[in-house]
Amino acid sequence: MKVDDALSHPAPVSNLEFKAALLLALFVALVLGTVLYLMYARGSFEETQQLVLVVDDSEGVRVGMDLTFAGFPIGRVHRIELAPDGAARIVIDVLRRDAHWLRESSVFILMRSLVGGVSLKAYSGVLTDPPLPDGAQRKVLVGDTNAELPLLVSNARELLQNLTRLSATDSALSASLNNLQMLTERLNGPRGAAGVLLGNEAEARKLATALDRVNQLLARLDGMAVKADAQVLGPAGLVHETRATVLQLNIMLGDARDTLKRVDAVLAEAQAVAANTRVATTDLGALRAEIDATVRKVEQLVDEVNRKWPFARDAELKLR
Amino acid sequence: MTPTTSPPGAFAELARTAGAWLFGWWRTVHLTALLLVLALSPSSYRREHRRALASHVYLGTAESLLWFTVLSTLISLVVTRIVLVTALSYGLSQYALEMVVRVLVLELIPLAAALFAALRCTTPLAAEIAALRSRGEWDEAAARGADPLRSEVLPRVVAGVFCTLMLAAVSCVVTLVVAYLSTYAFTTEGFGAYTHTVGQVFNPVVSLIFGLKILFFGITVALMPMAAVLDTTPRRRAYTSVELQGLVRMFLAIVLIEVASLVGNYY
Repeated sequence: MKVDDALSHPAPVSNLEFKAALLLALFVALVLGTVLYLMYARGSFEETQQLVLVVDDSEGVRVGMDLTFAGFPIGRVHRIELAPDGAARIVIDVLRRDAHWLRESSVFILMRSLVGGVSLKAYSGVLTDPPLPDGAQRKVLVGDTNAELPLLVSNARELLQNLTRLSATDSALSASLNNLQMLTERLNGPRGAAGVLLGNEAEARKLATALDRVNQLLARLDGMAVKADAQVLGPAGLVHETRATVLQLNIMLGDARDTLKRVDAVLAEAQAVAANTRVATTDLGALRAEIDATVRKVEQLVDEVNRKWPFARDAELKLR
Repeated sequence: MTPTTSPPGAFAELARTAGAWLFGWWRTVHLTALLLVLALSPSSYRREHRRALASHVYLGTAESLLWFTVLSTLISLVVTRIVLVTALSYGLSQYALEMVVRVLVLELIPLAAALFAALRCTTPLAAEIAALRSRGEWDEAAARGADPLRSEVLPRVVAGVFCTLMLAAVSCVVTLVVAYLSTYAFTTEGFGAYTHTVGQVFNPVVSLIFGLKILFFGITVALMPMAAVLDTTPRRRAYTSVELQGLVRMFLAIVLIEVASLVGNYY
């Protein structure tokens, strides 16, 4: 006889086993789907090629972090190992479909920022270069914000020290400011800018005296100017006489102009006389030429007579 | 001065309490081993047991599934929104999605699923066993030669574990979907980036710890209340204190599992 093991009997459910199997199937489907999705998300179905980045210090780099190109993840750190020469080797799986972004001339940078940890970036300047081969090994340039901090702090400290020196009570700047304050006080004092410029009270007093005397001199010059004005511009002044003189000069100039006209006429006559004289001179030339011709003929005649006259030896011809 | 308040008496009382506490844990471990053997035994899934198993699995899970899905959707929506807005205000939006996945999917939702399964499924199932024992039916069945551990306890424990796993699986998927929709809205353009982020979070170690954590959560919430009611005799203590003791042990075990998973993930 079979023993009924079940002590409690839950509420009857239609198609109970089918529904339970459905739940089980749903669970299996969920788990399988999640596993497949995670495998896809991890790139298990993607073909990859390896890239080895060599860096002196791999601190902050972790397995699974991205290698980005222009902000897009194209690879993932697969392994980090220590090379025999002491450098760190970061082995990266680069997706085959994205590997064409990496070229022979590509540059790899390990960026360490203040917030967000470390990031690996690739830059390809010349995309026409040959593609990076599988298993290529490259050095990594390190851009470390934290490494620049000590330098920044050092510079800031130096700057602060300079500022402290500048603002100290015995500093040059403080002394200059004190001097400036004294200068301002003296500018506001009874002697003002003159006292500042001349340095002491005695000199400033001398300047004031000199100014007084200059004022007196100017008053005297003013009186002299009034007198000179009367002598120059007064009724019997220089300007009035000068005007009369100018009038006389104008009259004299008119007389001189008439005289010159007469002289001009005399000159015209003299010019006519000279012209006549020139004509006469021209006639004298012709006369002289004729005389010359006659004398030459007489000479030729005497020479002829002398040749024909045997007793005469004196061949000298004398002109009278 | 009474003898119990003297130093030797107090020390003896402390030692007795610690011994009882340790003995209680040992009985829990023993029961776990027994049930594990029964669960791995094919004879436990014979036709006469299969119906009870199917009934507990279906009733225990189906009733909780809808409500917990709605609840986890709301929690995911609110937490995702808070994290996204906060990260955006600090200029750290690139880390927001990863944070959502880590905080919600890895930590909060499995914990919430375990607690919900404990409250809605495993504690009532343990109360049923306690009722059987109080009515004396447990002893009668044992006297008849039946094995109530196989026929009554194992289906309920399996149902409790399944309920926890199912709730966690459904709510994690729902949370992933809600996180995607909160970030990228109803478009497929962000699927690649989102998948990449999820892939980054779920590396093999994290995935393994995540799976083990949910499994141990399930075993804990199914076993601890049951162990508490099986551990005590109805004639000596009231059942409410037993259930409370089971809940305390369960919370303690859940906290230990959570801490262990955090140590595994982040150290």
